[in-house]
Amino acid sequence: MKKYLAATAIGLCLASSAQAEGKLNLYVWSESISPALIEKFSKENDVEVHVDGYTSNEDLLTKLQAGASGYDLSTPSQHFLKIMIDQGLIENIEANKLTAYENIDPRWRNQWWDEKQEYSIPIAYGTAGFVINTDLYKGPTDSLKYFFEPEGDLAGKIAMLSYPDEVIGAAQLYLGVPFCSEDPAEMKKVLDLLMAQKPAVAVYSSDNIASRLGSGEVSAHFWWDGEELKARDGGAPFQLAMTKEGLVGWLDSMVIPKGAPNRENAVKFIEFMSQPENATEQMNFYAHSSPMKTVAEKVVYTKEKAPELYPEVPVEFSRTCSPAAQDLVTKVWTQLLQ
Amino acid sequence: MTDSAHHGPVTATAPRARAPGFWHNLAFWGLLPSWLLMGVALLLPILIIAAVSVATRGAYGGFEWGFDLSGYRQILFNEGWTGELEFTPQYLVIILRTLALAGVTTLICLAVAVPVAYHIACQPPRLKAALVYLITLPFWVSMILRVYAWMIILGRDGPLPRFLEFFGAHAGLSFMYNDGATLAAMVYTYMPLMVLPVFASIEKLDGTLIEAAHDLYGNRWVTLRRVILPLTAPGLISGAILVFVPSLGAVLEPSLMGGGKQMMMGSLIQLQFSGGRNWPFGAAIAMTLLVFVMIVLLLIARRATAKESTA
Repeated sequence: MKKYLAATAIGLCLASSAQAEGKLNLYVWSESISPALIEKFSKENDVEVHVDGYTSNEDLLTKLQAGASGYDLSTPSQHFLKIMIDQGLIENIEANKLTAYENIDPRWRNQWWDEKQEYSIPIAYGTAGFVINTDLYKGPTDSLKYFFEPEGDLAGKIAMLSYPDEVIGAAQLYLGVPFCSEDPAEMKKVLDLLMAQKPAVAVYSSDNIASRLGSGEVSAHFWWDGEELKARDGGAPFQLAMTKEGLVGWLDSMVIPKGAPNRENAVKFIEFMSQPENATEQMNFYAHSSPMKTVAEKVVYTKEKAPELYPEVPVEFSRTCSPAAQDLVTKVWTQLLQ
Repeated sequence: MTDSAHHGPVTATAPRARAPGFWHNLAFWGLLPSWLLMGVALLLPILIIAAVSVATRGAYGGFEWGFDLSGYRQILFNEGWTGELEFTPQYLVIILRTLALAGVTTLICLAVAVPVAYHIACQPPRLKAALVYLITLPFWVSMILRVYAWMIILGRDGPLPRFLEFFGAHAGLSFMYNDGATLAAMVYTYMPLMVLPVFASIEKLDGTLIEAAHDLYGNRWVTLRRVILPLTAPGLISGAILVFVPSLGAVLEPSLMGGGKQMMMGSLIQLQFSGGRNWPFGAAIAMTLLVFVMIVLLLIARRATAKESTA
């Protein structure tokens, strides 16, 4: 036993002496960054990169609010990015002066969540909607009606996410209620719709979606476009429903949390990920659209191959709700699942 | 406890005599690390939660120090859809559902664990050790993995539906996403915590007492009720506490196995700290949960001491 302990101790010493110059701690959406790119960055800059993942914006916000996270880079979605800026949770890195800024596709620059583009550089965008298993459901998919008021085949075979965020957004799109409504009467309509849908819902879960839909446990699942695309690319019989009422949109950006211990490496990483070559590789890995300039001939998910990334139905981006509006969202969700 | 017993008489004497006594109080210094650990790792976090529960909520999550009881008020009274304050039983329903789930889990664990532990205790020493080892084996695997294993067992095309299909059940059967599935995973997860203390107390059971009961014409039922159960009660109670308390905070099983269609206290607290952006309310629910647990534990402790003093 002692021998093993000694060996381990020596091993640890060797490992730490072989450590890279700098460090970089990423806290990003689970499995969102291409491992090949991380390795490339790590080698080019002699930086040891550590990656942690989260599966909801809420998790990220809570962690940053709780204080000193020790992370150098995160990728919140637009409506949470705005909160983080307003609350002083992320660093002003004068992103508009970086080379990365020049590499942003002009239509994604200076949006409402970061008007002067001081805090963030976008990395991916996409949509959320209903994904069907085409082996199990052959009916129409061009309206949210079939999912919120399901009949026949889909009843009892629908799965929603376990967080209110996009789910309530989709219900609002269907009802024509504006995002972040502060009108209780309108939100009551949202609750009534979701309550009426509930008996037809098998599960509210954001985990394990591919296997739940793939195994036929459910026939339709609220999901994200890129995840559906990746699974479909791997042979799964999935299809993102292009619902005429629209899809819920999101855009994730790279930001640096306040007090990040390795700020310089984080800026380097942002520049690195924004080079057209790398942005293309990142898009090919993540299967979500890139808001950066890409190398057109190297893009795998073209319009022909991945129509779900190029929706022709309206895309409505989630907004930053006022506390009053957010309370109504939470109220709807709690009453739905009480 | 020992240090205060030593400490008491020393402080009562003259201050001059106190100093060397204080510095040489080995029991005090020896126990100090454990007191510090308890204070920093146990008491301090609870005090922080208590402070947050009366703090003012931040507009976008987080909180500001202050004194505001609206977190507690919100457990019972909320603004209705028309805007006026009204009694809202929804959170009470969630709390009661959680208590019921934890209670049923505890009862099932108890009912299964007692015979199992008794059987193990009756085996020869080597087999006994092996069986106890087998009981602890699941602890070596991450809890999430074990719950996922249950999802596969009960889910569509899993071993159990397949087995039943073989005997004529219709195809595409699934046992997932209902209360039964939640309960199965809960009982499975917490069973070892029940078996081990029950086993420990049954093992210490003096066999001659059982023989004596039989000699006095006690039949099996009377022997079980009046000899075995009272003597093993401490093990049963500690097993029940070990299962009941963590069951109250279970999040994984209800959301993964039960389909997340009905909230439990754990997921309610989680929602308040995340999407709900209402930390004080989340902390208030957590404190309520804590008080429930404390009351149950105090009642058990009082009953135990009452019994000791009458015995």
